[in-house]
Amino acid sequence: MATTTSDIQDEIDAHGHGAHDDHHHGPAKGLMRWVKTTNHKDIGTLYLWFAFTMLLVGGAMAMVIRAELFQPGLQFVEPQFFNQMTTLHGLIMVFGAIMPAFVGLANWQIPLMIGAKDMALPRMNNWSFWILPFAGSMLLSTLFMEGGGPAFGWTFYAPLSTTFAPASTDFFIFAVHMLGFSSIMGAINVIATIMNMRAPDMKLMDMPLFVWTWLITAFLLIAAMPVLAGAVTMMLTDRNFGTSFFDAAGGGDPVMFQHIFWFFGHPEVYIMILPAFGIVSQIIPTFARKPLFGYSSMVYATASIALLSFVVWAHHMFLTGMPIAGQMYFMYATIMISVPTGVKVFNWVTTMWRGSLTFETPMKWAVAFVILFTIGGFSGLMLGVAPVDIQYHDTYFVVAHFHYVLVSGALFSIIAAVFYWLPKWCGRMYNEKLATIHFWWAIISVNILFFPQHFLGLAGMPRRIPDYSTQFADFNMISSIGGFAFGASFLLLTYIIVTAIRSGEKIEEDRVWESAKGLEWTVATPAPYHTFDEPPKKAQILSESSHIGEH
Amino acid sequence: MKYVILLFFVFIIYSLGSALFYMMKDGDGSKRMVKALTMRVGFSIGLFLLLLFAFWMGWIKPTGVA
Amino acid sequence: MQASKEEYFIPDGSYWPIVGSIGMASMLGGFASSLHDNSLGTGIMVLGFGLIIFMVFGWMGQVVHESEQGIYNKQVDRSFRMGMGWFIFSEVMFFAAFFGALWYARNLSVPWLGGSSNNAFTNTVLWPEFKSVWPLLQMPDAANFTVPKAIIHAWEIPAINTLCLLLSGATLTWAHWALLNNNRKQIIVGLIATIALGVIFLSLQVAEYAEAYQHLDLKLSSGIYGSTFFMLTGFHGLHVTLGTIMLIVILMRVLRGHFNPDNHFGFEGVAWYWHFVDVVWLGLFIFVYWL
Repeated sequence: MATTTSDIQDEIDAHGHGAHDDHHHGPAKGLMRWVKTTNHKDIGTLYLWFAFTMLLVGGAMAMVIRAELFQPGLQFVEPQFFNQMTTLHGLIMVFGAIMPAFVGLANWQIPLMIGAKDMALPRMNNWSFWILPFAGSMLLSTLFMEGGGPAFGWTFYAPLSTTFAPASTDFFIFAVHMLGFSSIMGAINVIATIMNMRAPDMKLMDMPLFVWTWLITAFLLIAAMPVLAGAVTMMLTDRNFGTSFFDAAGGGDPVMFQHIFWFFGHPEVYIMILPAFGIVSQIIPTFARKPLFGYSSMVYATASIALLSFVVWAHHMFLTGMPIAGQMYFMYATIMISVPTGVKVFNWVTTMWRGSLTFETPMKWAVAFVILFTIGGFSGLMLGVAPVDIQYHDTYFVVAHFHYVLVSGALFSIIAAVFYWLPKWCGRMYNEKLATIHFWWAIISVNILFFPQHFLGLAGMPRRIPDYSTQFADFNMISSIGGFAFGASFLLLTYIIVTAIRSGEKIEEDRVWESAKGLEWTVATPAPYHTFDEPPKKAQILSESSHIGEH
Repeated sequence: MKYVILLFFVFIIYSLGSALFYMMKDGDGSKRMVKALTMRVGFSIGLFLLLLFAFWMGWIKPTGVA
Repeated sequence: MQASKEEYFIPDGSYWPIVGSIGMASMLGGFASSLHDNSLGTGIMVLGFGLIIFMVFGWMGQVVHESEQGIYNKQVDRSFRMGMGWFIFSEVMFFAAFFGALWYARNLSVPWLGGSSNNAFTNTVLWPEFKSVWPLLQMPDAANFTVPKAIIHAWEIPAINTLCLLLSGATLTWAHWALLNNNRKQIIVGLIATIALGVIFLSLQVAEYAEAYQHLDLKLSSGIYGSTFFMLTGFHGLHVTLGTIMLIVILMRVLRGHFNPDNHFGFEGVAWYWHFVDVVWLGLFIFVYWL
C-alpha cells in the first residue's frame, strides 16, 4: 500500500515544480512521511486506501454470506459465524469503507475547491486518520476471540448485545468509541476548514455543492456520533457494571436502546449519502456542459434533509410497538423527506436536459447513481409507510432497499468521484475502455444481486438468516450469482485504478475534463504538494463556478 | 413554578450559547464573550437563589425528601 | 507575500497523533481485556493512559510554544476557536444521550412498567407487584440489583456543590474581566479561587459517592435510578476533573506571563469549557437531584 502511494507522490513531485513556485519543503521520504504527515493530500490518500482495503475485507464477508445463501440448507458456515459475517460486513462497510472514503475525498478536494492552503487543523487531521487503522484492527480482531465476534447485526440491539453477547463485544464497543472519536475530529476539521479557510472572496453561496454537502454532513456527524458513543457506553456499563439502562427488570427498557441508536442511526444514513449528492452535483454539470440547475434549491434541500433526519428515527421501529400517534408522526415526517430528495433528483435530470451530454466513465457512474439511488429512494418511501412496513419489516426488502442506496448510491458516487478526480490527483488517465467494461459489468451484476431481493422480501424472507425455506431458492441463487459477479468486478476495478496510477497515460492539461468548472481544475496536473498559497481572486472564483445565480 | 425554572434555564443556555458564538466569531479583543458569560453566571445564581427561596416558601418540593 | 505572520501556519509532520492513537488503542484494548480477567489488561491500560497523558502534554506544549513564538495569526486562532466550539457541541450531544436516557426512564419506561398508558397488560404479566414511582428505589425485579435504602438529598451536599460551582463561575468571570483589563494579579487570584472551588466540588462529590456506596447502598447497580444517577454525575465529575486540570495549566501559563488582552484563546477556550460544565451541573441539580 505504502509503496503504491509513494509512487503517486513521486509522480506528483516530478510534475509539481515549474508550475509552482516552491518555497515549501517537499514531502518527507519513506514510511514516516505517511505517519507524520500534516498534508491534506497525503491524508486524503491514506483515507482512500484505508477505505478501499476495508471495502475489500467487507466485500469478502459479503461473499461468504452470498455463498451460504446460494442454496437452502446450511452449506459452508455455522449459523453463528454467518451472523458474525452479517454484523461485521455491515459495521465495516459503514464505518470502515463508506465514511472514511468520503472523508478522504473531503480531505483531497475541499481545500482545492475553496482555494485553501490546507485543512484548518492539520495535526488533528492526521490523528483523525491514524485512529482508524487501530480501531479497524480492534473491530476485526473480535473475530478471532473466544466466543467469536459480535453476532447481533450492525444495529446491535439490546439485549442481544448486552445479556446474550460474546465477550468480544467489549472490544467492539471500544472500536466504535474510537471510530466515533475519529469521525468527530474529522468533521470538526471540515467545518473549521470551510468556514475559516475559504478564499476570502468566496461567499457561502459561491461554494461548490460538494463543499456544501460536506459542511452539512460534518454538522450531522458532530451531532450524531456522540449519541452513538453514549449508547455504546451505556451498553458497556450494562454488560460489565450492573447498570440497567436497557434492562426492564431494573426499570430500564431495551426499546430505549433502539431509540438512542436510531437517533444516531438515521442521521448516519444521511451522513453516508449527502456527500454523494455533492459528488454527483459536481460531475453532472461537467459532462452535461451546463451549469447546475437550481443550485440554491440544492443547498436548501440538503439542509432540510439534514434537519429532518433528526426527527424521523422511529420509522426504523414501527414494529417495536409505538402509539398510533407516534406511528402517524414518524410516517409523515419520513415521507416529507422525499420532497427535498425529489428536488435534488429533478435538478440533476434538469441539468442534463438539453445538455451536450457525453458519457465518460465518471458521468456513467453519476447517471447510474441517479437512476439506482432513485429506486432505493422509492423502496424507502414504501418502507416509510407504517401500515405496509408491517409486511416489509426485517425482510430482504429492507436489505434490497438499503443496498440500493448505499451500494449503488454512496459507493457508486465514490467510484464516480475517484474516476473524476484521480487524473487531477496523479496526472494520469485511467483506461477508458476497461473502465467502460467494468462499469457495465458492475451495473448489471449489482442489479442481478439486489433486485431479486425485493421479491424475496415481499415474499417474506427474513433478513439475517443462514438458511431459508425452499420457495426462496431461485431468487437467492440469482442474487448470489449477481453477488459473485459484482464481487469479482472489484478485482477489475483494482487493476484499473492501480495501472492508472502507475502507468496510465500522462495528462498535461490542468483542466482534465474540458468543460469542468471549479478551482481544483486551475491548479497544475498532477496537483502539486502545496496549492493555493495565494487565495484565488473573485473573478476567478466566479468564472470557475459550476452554477449560476447570486454570487 | 416549573415554567419559571425552565425559563431561567433557557436564558442560561442562551447566554452560554451566545458566548460560544462570540468566542468563535470575534476572536481576541472583543468583550462580547465575557459579557455573555457574566450574564450566564448572573442568571445561574439567580436561579439558585430562586430555588432556595421557593423551597423555603414551600412552593416546590424536591424528590427524595419524604 | 507579506510578513510571515500573515501566512496561515501549516505545521510540519508530527509524531504526536500516532503516539495518541497507540495510547488510545492500548488503553481501551487493555481495559476491555481486563474486563475479561486478562491479567495483562490492566497493565496495558495504564501504559496506554500514560501514553495519552504524554501525548496531550507534548502536543499541547508544542502548540503553546508555537503560540508564544507568535507563529499563529488571527486566522489560525479562529480555527482553534471553531475547533473548541464544535468539540463542545459534540460534548453537549454526548450528555444529551444520557439526559435522554434519564427522561425516557422517568417519563416512559418506568411508568409503562407500572401499567400507565396502554400498558396495563405489561404490568400484569411481567411484574404485577411493581409500582411506578420516582425516585425508583424498588425495581421491578430486584434479584440482580442492589436495592438502595435512600437517595442523596438535594439540599445536602448537592446544594453546597451547586453553590461551589456557581461561585467558581463567578470567580472565573472575574478573572476573565481581569485578563481583558490586563490586571495580572486579579487573574491569578481569580484562577486560584476557581481551581480551589473545583477541587472542593470534587472532594465533596467523592464524599457523596462514598456515602451512597457505603451507607445508602445506592450503586451503579441500583436499577435505573442508580444507573442514570451515577452515569450523569460521574461523567460530569470527569469533566470537572478535566476542567480543573486545564485551569491549572492555564494558571501555570499566566504565572509564566502568557496571555494578554489581544492573545488569550487558551484562556477563553478553557473558560467556556468550565462554564459549560457548570451549566451541565445546574441541569443535573435540577433534573437528577431535585425534580
